[in-house]
Amino acid sequence: MTRYVIRRILWLLLVLLVVSFITFSLMHLVPGGPWDREKQLAPQVVEALNRKYGLDKPFFVQYGNFLIGLLHGDLGISYSFQNRSVTQILMQGLPITATLGITAFIAAILIGISLGMAAALKQNSWIDYVSVMFSTIFASIPGFVLAILLMVVFSVLLHWLPTGGWGSVSQIIMPAFALGALPAAFIARITRASTLEVMRQDYVRTARSKGLLERVVLIRHILRNSLIPVVTIAGPEFANLVTGSVIVETIFSIPGIGRLFVQGIFARDYGLIMGSVLFYAFVIAIANMVVDILYGVIDPRIVYN
Amino acid sequence: MAIVANTTIGSERPHHTLWGDAWIRLRRNKLAMAGGIFIIVLALAAIFAPLITPYDFAHQDYSALLQNPSAKHWLGTDGLGRDVFARLLYGARTSLAVGIFTQLIVIGIGIPIGAIAGYAGGRVDNVLMRFVDVMYGFPDLLLVILLKAVLGGGIYQLFLAIGLVAWVNISRLVRGQILSIKSRDFISAAKVMGGTGRYITWRHLLPNSLGPIIVSITFNIPRAIFTEAALSYIGIGVRPPTPSWGAMIHDGYDVIFASWYQVFFPALAVALLMIAFTFLGDGLRDALDPKMRR
Amino acid sequence: MRRKSIILSLLAILMTASLVLTSACTQGTKGTGEQILRVNLAGEPAQIDPNQASWAAEKSVITQVFVGLLGFNQDLSLRADVATVIPTIANEGISADGLTYTFTLRTNVTWSDDKKVTASDFVYSIKRELNPDLACAYASFYFDIVGAEAYFSATDKTDAEKTALENAVGVSAPDDETLQIKLNDPLPTFLDLMALWPVYPLREDIITQYGDSWTDPPNYIGDGPYLLTEWVHLDHMTFKPNPNYWGTKPNLAEIDFKMIADANAALAAYYNGELDISGVPVGTEKATMTNAVLSPEILRYNDLTTFAFQFNVTKPPFDNKLVRQALSCAVDRQTLIDIRGGVGKVALSWIPPGMPGYDATLGAEYAFNVTKAKELLDQAGYSDVSQLPEIKFSYSDTAGNRTIAQFLQAQMQQNLGINITLDPQESKSFQQYINAGKHMWAWFGWGADYPDPDNWLPQLFGTGAGNNHTLYSNPTFDALAAVALKELDNTTRLQDWADAQKLVMDDAPIVTMFYRERFLLVKPWVKGLKTTGMDGQVAGDMFYNEVYIAK
Repeated sequence: MTRYVIRRILWLLLVLLVVSFITFSLMHLVPGGPWDREKQLAPQVVEALNRKYGLDKPFFVQYGNFLIGLLHGDLGISYSFQNRSVTQILMQGLPITATLGITAFIAAILIGISLGMAAALKQNSWIDYVSVMFSTIFASIPGFVLAILLMVVFSVLLHWLPTGGWGSVSQIIMPAFALGALPAAFIARITRASTLEVMRQDYVRTARSKGLLERVVLIRHILRNSLIPVVTIAGPEFANLVTGSVIVETIFSIPGIGRLFVQGIFARDYGLIMGSVLFYAFVIAIANMVVDILYGVIDPRIVYN
Repeated sequence: MAIVANTTIGSERPHHTLWGDAWIRLRRNKLAMAGGIFIIVLALAAIFAPLITPYDFAHQDYSALLQNPSAKHWLGTDGLGRDVFARLLYGARTSLAVGIFTQLIVIGIGIPIGAIAGYAGGRVDNVLMRFVDVMYGFPDLLLVILLKAVLGGGIYQLFLAIGLVAWVNISRLVRGQILSIKSRDFISAAKVMGGTGRYITWRHLLPNSLGPIIVSITFNIPRAIFTEAALSYIGIGVRPPTPSWGAMIHDGYDVIFASWYQVFFPALAVALLMIAFTFLGDGLRDALDPKMRR
Repeated sequence: MRRKSIILSLLAILMTASLVLTSACTQGTKGTGEQILRVNLAGEPAQIDPNQASWAAEKSVITQVFVGLLGFNQDLSLRADVATVIPTIANEGISADGLTYTFTLRTNVTWSDDKKVTASDFVYSIKRELNPDLACAYASFYFDIVGAEAYFSATDKTDAEKTALENAVGVSAPDDETLQIKLNDPLPTFLDLMALWPVYPLREDIITQYGDSWTDPPNYIGDGPYLLTEWVHLDHMTFKPNPNYWGTKPNLAEIDFKMIADANAALAAYYNGELDISGVPVGTEKATMTNAVLSPEILRYNDLTTFAFQFNVTKPPFDNKLVRQALSCAVDRQTLIDIRGGVGKVALSWIPPGMPGYDATLGAEYAFNVTKAKELLDQAGYSDVSQLPEIKFSYSDTAGNRTIAQFLQAQMQQNLGINITLDPQESKSFQQYINAGKHMWAWFGWGADYPDPDNWLPQLFGTGAGNNHTLYSNPTFDALAAVALKELDNTTRLQDWADAQKLVMDDAPIVTMFYRERFLLVKPWVKGLKTTGMDGQVAGDMFYNEVYIAK
């Protein structure tokens, strides 16, 4: 197990390196550079800017410089927030995006699994219908529409919550909900489907016929086994959720990494793009690693060697 | 196919029964049939849109800007005085195409990779999954934007860009399912009885993992439609004046405070299509579940 | 049954939400009476270092904290701020050859830390603007100063060479109250340039001490009415009155600049009483005007910005002047404005109203007239429009531009039977595409850096000029511009520019569409707001020291 984890971490570093190189290449392939504007800058200014940010150097030298900086924890200077280092900018957004993402994720997992499980255990009851309705509705509304609906109801009409910003508990409720609704719906459906499937398995029947307590059957056999597909989906969903905060952060004016990332792309802020992509890649890789390790924990039949 | 070639195991249960039985069970499921019929009717309506509405989706009537629903314009008009009902019908063409073609790409890439990785295990699994990790390492939106920029404009490039990014989830799901099913008794039995790898994968592993895959695909279709909307927002979606539901939702979102109809109808259309796919997916899952065949 | 009930519930929920949306537009709350103004900056300013800033949001921030030698009145005429008077040849502030400018500074001007503002603070700022290592976006505006271009272009030189070039820049401070600037050539608009933010005074000691973090409060020392007291990145900025301000003390106790990027979210924040001034999303203007509560809160004013379709005059069929004129006649500008909720003014000529050079009589010949459009096409040899090459129209894909592009497509189809292809592009890609001259026909806008034709004609229509994306070239225009750029007599100069603009409108490298109008909501308790055609991101930002909140 330990060897497996170490090997996975080494792989992770390699994955990050490949991701960084592909992003770096694609970034330079996409038409339009950081200094292209509607009101064009004077050629002397463009030349000086390229010089200032090292963009006058050949491609591989630029990539090399990026890697050297990365080893020192330095992602360079942002072009769109010109006086600040990318590392500093990302560090400021990180706790915000993480708090939002984890809150939404925990809510989505709790709501999703309990709704899905309840629906499956009481198939064709009102609980089942409510659960299916919930997951259908929230999986059917685009995130930005849901966000503005929440804002209109809870801020404009009821005056219960502020429309955006960051810093208080009241400011996290709507964005976390807007962010977590789709994964919660998805998790509820996956849980329902897999629980129904597990309940039909022979070992559940066997366990029941052995006269085991219903609670034991439920926890040891049904819950555990029906969570395998949920775990598979939870890792990517967590990553989706963190990266999905891009739109939600923009609408609710939350100063997180998602909003920086969007701005970075539009501004061709290479340092900011590289920094945020690597951050996302890291979160995703870790999430996947945790999922694979959790497989082994939940499903003892899977052995890593 | 290779499946039929192996007569020692396959003879007891003829090949057609999996799908034949499934169809029989699917037909008994009213919700699934309703969902399927809705999708077919919508597809037909999209194809025969010119016979259903007298309006051209691109015709601008400046005397009727941003109107509420009326007898003349059933679902009102948009900011350029175009009939929203006509745009919804024609937009169904784009959105169904985006939903379906991207999923074909997703299935075509994601299932083989996931299945091979899960079944083969070891080094093959490692190589494939690290490739998947690299793909997965990218924030979807960035990769779609970059790919679209590299591939160029047009609707086929749009399918390709979304599909090439979206397959990763499915491959991980398939692999997870196969890892879990692989260790079950009936697979070991099949192995003992001399089943080949391909036979076991196609005959046992894939059918047994179809349930969650189908559920996932029914969710992915509207997601692809949403992705198309996000791309329209960034400016690399469908080329106007061709309508798409995603672009209509986005245009409607901009004027949500002036005329909520503009976002309501396309959002409702997406929601209904989504519900239809959900019911159909549920039905398919139940129908394809091998354990229900007894 | 189950499906039906789900759909019904879904419908019910969506309908309720929609009702909520419509009824939401009837909210109204009372002001608190506190002297706090809350406005939306929309996004994080990229830069608040006056030398390096170039965007509207940055300008809105800098204007609160800094005051320059000169400034603009509400009518955009010049005003002496830190300078005692506006230099003229008559008061000997400008030498007779127009090459030497002498500014005399007021003696009572102080920084927010109570130090005195001296002429050397301006010398430092101007030289820093031209520093090649800093690569300031507006540096090229000041290349007419002696030695400026040589210094800025010294990117490859050694430090010693750079210092020598820096010392050679023609800016000096003979004493604390006198600033002298030498130019290579006479430049009639030089005083306008001296009223812009890149040459506001800066504190060398502060910048040397704090480096790049000098723009973080409390290091951000200025000589303006307000102080930046808090900057939560991507969230908000807070300004408080500068206790050492040397001019008339502001009324407000606090200004909050929020950074709400989404237009719907900003409007929701306005409804919710979190903003005192807000824009409305494009397309919502008409609904706002018909709303009984909101309509009295609407503030509309003209902006020095013109929007136009620009042809690439090197690509057929647009190399033919008659085709360009014909297409100009084929677009119904008023209808576009109606579609845009009646916001904006029909533009028949390039330079907008509200600044020197605007000519209300110009361009009427190529106004909307389908008959004339067809005649011109006939003359151009295209009586059969199917003979035209395929026309592609490029634009940066935003909601507003999408509407405009589809409108143009419909106009061409309906009025002339010409099918044009739309080519939406992501913003930076579009800009590079245009800068490289790859487009056939494209959408663009131009806003004033300073209110003079000098900023509106030579850069866009001069042969080979930096922002000449039509690739238009007319020797007569170039000759007129060369004279006008250096002509010190204002009447002659403006006449030259008027002639030059007329040439451009006749040659029709662009189809002018509309002058921008700003459309905002302002809470009734906000008083004393003074807007201009050159406001930054937030409305009335040049006169926030006069704003107050009514009880």
